[in-house]
This record gives sequence, structure tokens and C-alpha cells, in this order.
Amino acid sequence: MRPASHKLARRTLLGSVLALPAIGSARAQAWPARPVTLIVPWPAGGSTDVSMRAMAEAAAKHLGQQVVVDNKPGAAGTLGGATMAATARPDGYTIAQMPISMFRLPYMQKTSFDPQKDFTYISNLTGYTFGVVVKKDSKFQTFKDLIDAARAEPGKITYATPGAGTTLHITMEQIAAAAGVKWTQVPFKGGAETSAAVMGGHVSATADSTGWGPLVDAGELRLLCTWGGAQTKKWPNVPTLTELGFPIVSDSPFGIAGPRNMNPVAVQKLDEAFRAAMQDRAVLDTLEKFDMAPRYMPTADYIKFVNETIAEQKVLIERLGLKTS
Amino acid sequence: MDVFNSLWLGLGVAMQPMNLLFCFAGVFIGTLIGVLPGIGPVAAMSLLLPITFNITPEAAIIMLSGIYYGSMYGGSTTAILVNIPGEAASVITCLDGYQMARQGRAGPALGMAAIGSFIAGTLAVVGLMLLAPTLARVAVKFGPAEYFSLMVLGLTILVWLSQGSIIKALIMACLGVVLGLVGIDSITAMPRLTFDQMQLIDGLGLVPIVMGLFGIAEILNNLEQRLDREVFQANVKGLMPSRDDWKRSAGPIARGSVLGFFLGILPGGGAVISSFLSYAMEKRLSKTPERFGKGAIEGVAGPETANNAAAGAGFIPLLTLGIPPNVVMALLLGAFIVHGVQPGPLMMTQNPQLFWGVVASMYIGNAMLLVLNMPLIGLWVQLLKVPYKILFPMILLFCVIGAYSVSNQVFDVYLMLGFGVLGWLMKKFGFEPAPLVLAFVLGPMLENNLRKSMILSQGDFMMFLERPISAVCLACAVLLLVSPLLPIFNKQRKQLATEES
Repeated sequence: MRPASHKLARRTLLGSVLALPAIGSARAQAWPARPVTLIVPWPAGGSTDVSMRAMAEAAAKHLGQQVVVDNKPGAAGTLGGATMAATARPDGYTIAQMPISMFRLPYMQKTSFDPQKDFTYISNLTGYTFGVVVKKDSKFQTFKDLIDAARAEPGKITYATPGAGTTLHITMEQIAAAAGVKWTQVPFKGGAETSAAVMGGHVSATADSTGWGPLVDAGELRLLCTWGGAQTKKWPNVPTLTELGFPIVSDSPFGIAGPRNMNPVAVQKLDEAFRAAMQDRAVLDTLEKFDMAPRYMPTADYIKFVNETIAEQKVLIERLGLKTS
Repeated sequence: MDVFNSLWLGLGVAMQPMNLLFCFAGVFIGTLIGVLPGIGPVAAMSLLLPITFNITPEAAIIMLSGIYYGSMYGGSTTAILVNIPGEAASVITCLDGYQMARQGRAGPALGMAAIGSFIAGTLAVVGLMLLAPTLARVAVKFGPAEYFSLMVLGLTILVWLSQGSIIKALIMACLGVVLGLVGIDSITAMPRLTFDQMQLIDGLGLVPIVMGLFGIAEILNNLEQRLDREVFQANVKGLMPSRDDWKRSAGPIARGSVLGFFLGILPGGGAVISSFLSYAMEKRLSKTPERFGKGAIEGVAGPETANNAAAGAGFIPLLTLGIPPNVVMALLLGAFIVHGVQPGPLMMTQNPQLFWGVVASMYIGNAMLLVLNMPLIGLWVQLLKVPYKILFPMILLFCVIGAYSVSNQVFDVYLMLGFGVLGWLMKKFGFEPAPLVLAFVLGPMLENNLRKSMILSQGDFMMFLERPISAVCLACAVLLLVSPLLPIFNKQRKQLATEES
């Protein structure tokens, strides 16, 4: 009994000593005083949602407040950020996952937000594993077969993506431009629908993140290529785009941001919390399940990266002729 | 025999005390959130998802599934008692359920809804167990063209089944479609009808619209009447369905189960479509279609059965293909993956104890729901004896909380009140809210699938006629529309009318 109570007394003492200086700066320390809402602009249950939920939970431990995930899917993953930019207060209690389409869509058409001005960038987190799948009984055995078919009949080959202007859409068009072929995009809403579309034979192929995984493992779908810098751990025999002769690495890294002019205390605290989350075992395990590689960048690096990406996307969109307005 | 061995394995898992407890917790929470207007299974499941991280995958999935099908049971309660649908799938239940309550027959209506739900839930699990892999493969045959045609048929039926003037129903359906357009377009990501108002970027919420048009409008309407309780408490005729009720409901329950089951497998909107298709079918098959809308128990039994069957069948594409057919299933997919299990074709062989444990738990959960819900009926009916001056403010409070809790935006509360006033005016001029709500749900799906079909066919409309499922749906829709014009049908209808008089 004695050692236990002794330990308890010491912990209480330690606690009150530690608490003392905190009282002085209570006002600055007060953030977060209530739960933080994290807008995830993708449907619940997809790879982004599940990994963001794991990170939200780990970050919550460090913030001492719940981080509530709010799914606002639509418009190629820009709906959530656009709504936040327009309606949320910059108090740090509303933040959003920033998919790469946030930096791209403004060059494709009129948007209600400006990625350069309307957000306070916090940290970059991770990226996806993308790949192209066809049905098991499809005549396309390799990615080259698919490209050859597109060359033979321009526009006849259709591919499903989780939305117009997503990395999947852009990269498929980049490949088509490099190969000198033409194929047709069919934008769906999120990953679940794209798997059904290729399973049912409604499109020739699907380009999406690893939601197709279980169907590939079961032999229902055939994985033709992956888009990372190296082969994936789960499907090591599947070639990357680089190996197939297209010097493209496409993993669509994403981070988090808040509305512009966000409370700097909140930015700092959130960056710290998400850095800790990116080292959390449960988060790393979850990322592994979806073949996502951690790619944490602190605030300063992330802002630099965002600016570079915005410039790069402008060139890409113009070169591919995707600009509609 | 293999199936029975597997089911035995599953029962072993489901009957473990811990899993039984979580199953009960799930269906209990589900019943509660189903009864509360505006608070749906998605909100409850996302809130509880983190709690399941520390329990076994079996217990987690059993509980989360229980919340889902439990909420389907509860959704009809407020629809019947106070004319506020607990979720979109219960909109149709309002039509006859509320009329039954007005006639003092809330008990039988609630009872039949619960029994129908039990039967449908159980049949759906049997179907899931025996037919799952085959059916899932058929369901993916539904592409954008098939969905488009199914939506066209759905919207046609919607207008056709409405009570009064077909023109007025058409106007409401059009209004619903237009309201559904508000927000960012899903194909090109351009804002439409948003008038530069950022609150409108997300589109209008279903919950504020439904609760405004039904709940608030009902209150406003009643405020105009004398404040004593007409029929409600005067004659509460029994709590349990009578022999006659049973006889009338047997057919609707059987048909509703089958219809709901098959539509539930399709990704997207199965529960809503199946509930009003079932209503339309029962009205058409009935020898006394004029009773519909005035408290026909068939109009409660059929749709309530169908939406529960659809809820059960929704598990099929998720468990066998890893493709979630609706938002709730997507959430469940997330739960599976978090627990290290990938739902898909391999799940049945790689995780048999989990697959069969969850399936077996649904039998148990459905039985629990019946036991839980039957005694509650007496309690709910007592609620009707609460005087208006207490009941109305309470309904109003729940509606406001419900509308706010979905989006955390005060805007949605104003939206709900606005639609309340609209609903009150509509009632005054003889417009029905049901076509508006259903068109609001189906319209955007119709558009999205039409545009995807057009991309796939490179602008060729023949696609809809060349594909058999799509062609059949469109043919049925055309037949329904022209049927009043054809002399044969008209004669039949007149004959029917004279026989009845």
C-alpha cells in the first residue's frame, strides 16, 4: 500500500508544480477550449476518411480536446475547403483536409475560393497510392494494352475517377498526352462507386486510390500499374508508371489548413498535435493498411510546398488544355 | 448444409455474452435515434466509431450494424404519431400512418410497422446468407444508364401515386428537382443557384426540408384549428393489430420484403425508392385504392417492410464486394478497416467468424428489436394524450435541435422554419409535400446518372433503350403516364368506381 500512496502523492505534487506556471498564461494556453471540427471533403469510410479519423483521434490526445471529423464530400474534394473558407471563423476550431484539387480547380474554372489567399496552411501529412484497375475478364492484360486500345479508337476507352479535376483525372490525361492517345473520363462520387463501375463493366478501367485492394486480392479486378515512386509493398509485381516509360510520380500529398488569418496559437498547437499524430503507432498502422506513406511537413515547409504546387498545377492544367472557362 | 454449419459458427460468436450486450446496445441506441426526428444513424455511428476501437471487431461491427437497422425500426414512430418522418424512407409512412393515428389506431399502425420490420429484417438476413455473392454480382450490372431509368420510373410513380391533382403533384415534383440542384454540380464542380451565398454551396439539407414541410407545417396547421384534441384520445381502439389488419397486411409485407430486398442491394438510395414503390404497388393492387391516404394499414405495412428489407440487403454489396451502397455502409466499411478487416470477396473465407457472427447477430438483433418495440407502443400511444400546448412546443424543440445538429448551422434552422411556412401554404392550396421531398432526393441522382450516361455513350440517347433493364424501366414509366389516356384503362377505372359505389 505504502509505495502506491507515496507514488500518488508525488504525482499530485508534480502535477501542481507543473500547473503553476500554466496559470499565469492561462489566456494564451486556453486554446483549445472546445472540440475542433475537421472537415474531410470525402465520403465517410474511404481511405482519406479513415486515415484522417485515425489522425484526428491521435491529435485529440495531444490537444486535450476531441477532433470531430465532418464529412462534406463533393466537387472533387473542394466542397469542404470552400465551405470552410466562406463560413468558418479563423479561431482554429474549424480546419479542413486539403486535397491537391484545392490548388488545381481554380485554374480549371471559376471557384469561390483562392488557395493562395483564403487559407492558413498548418501541416502536410501524407499521400495516396493510386493505380489503374480493369475487370478480371477484361482483354487488357497490361497497361500497354489499354493505351494501345485508346490509340486504335480515340475516345472509346472510358475510365472512372472519383471526380473531375482530381489527381486521378489529371494524371490519366498526363499519361494520354505523353502516349499521344485520347480516352474519356467519367467522374463518379468517391471510391466506392468507381469499383462498382468497373466491376459491372460500365467503364473500361478505373483510376483510383487503393479502395480496389480487396477486389484485386480476390482476383476480381486486375491491377495494371501503380503511380508511386517505387513498387508497392502489397503488390510488388505491379509496375510503376516510371517503369512503364512515363516519368510521372503521382501520389497527391495532402495536409490540413484553416480559414485565412487564423489564430497563430491555434496553428502552432495544431501543427504540434498533428506532428505527434504522424508518429502515433495506430496512425502509422492505419496508413499502412491503405498503402499511404507518412509525409509530414511543418508549417513553414508546407506553405512553401503549397506555393510550388499551385504554380506547377497552373502550368499542368494549361498544357493539358483542361481549362474550361 | 455448409451454410448451416457456418451459421452455427456465427451463432456461437453472436451468443457470446459480450457480443449479445453490444448487439443490445446497438439496437437500443438505434431505436432511440430512429425515434428522434432529424438525428440519423450516420451521426450516431460516427460518434460511436471511436469507442469501438477498444473492443473486438465482432462486437464493434455487431453494435454499429445494430444501430443502423435499429434506427430503421424507430423511423416510423414519429411519422405515425405526429406526421414527422424520422428519415427520408419514412416520408411515405406519414400518408396513412398519421391518418390511422388520427382515427385512434396509432397502436395497430405502430405494431404492424414493427412486425413488418421484423419479418423484413429477418428475411433480408436469410437472403443475405443464401444469395449474397450471386446477387452482389448482379447489382453491379446497374450502371449510370440503369440508374437514370430507375429514377425516371421512380419520379413517374411518385406523381402517379399522389392523391389529388396530377398537375399539382407535378409542380411539387418539379420544385423538388429544382431545390435539389442548389449547390456545387457533381460533374464539373460549378456552383448553381447559390446566388453567391456560401451557405448554399453545400446544397439544401434534406432534414430541414422534411421537418419543415411535415413537422412545422403540421403544427402551424393545427394552431388554426380549435385547440381541443379531436379524435386523438377520444377513441384509442386497441394497441395491437386486429385480425382484419393482419389479413390486409400479409400481402404488403410479403411483397414489400422482396421489393425492398432487391432494391436495397443497388448502390444508392435503395431504402427511399423501395418505400414509395411499395406504396404505389399496394395502392395499385388494392381493391379499394380510395382508402389509401385515409388510414389504410397496407400503406404503412408495405413501405415500412420495404425500407427495412432494403436496410438489411444493403449489407450485401459491402460484405461480399467491399462496395458500400450508402453512407451508412461506407461508415461501416471504415469500421471494418480500422479493425484490420477488409470487407470483400475474401472476407467470408478469411474471417468466417466475423462474417457469420455479424450475420447471426442480425437474427438476434431483429428479435431484440421486436421485444423492445412492442411494449413501447403503449408508451408512444400515451404520448398522444399529452395536450397540444405541451406537445407542440416539444415537437418544435426537437425539430430545431434536429435541424441544427445535422450541420451545426443556424442557417438550417431558418431553412426549416421557411419550409414550415411553405408547407403550411401548400396545405392550404392542396399541394402535397411528399412529391417535393422525394423529387428532391431523386432529382440530383437522376441528373448525375444522366450526365454520366451521356459521357459514356458519347451523347447517344439510344443507350437508355439498348440496355434491357433501362428499357424496361422507361417502358413502365411511359405506360404509367399514358394509362389515363388509354380508353381501356379508363373504362376499367370507371367500372371499378361504379362497382364500389
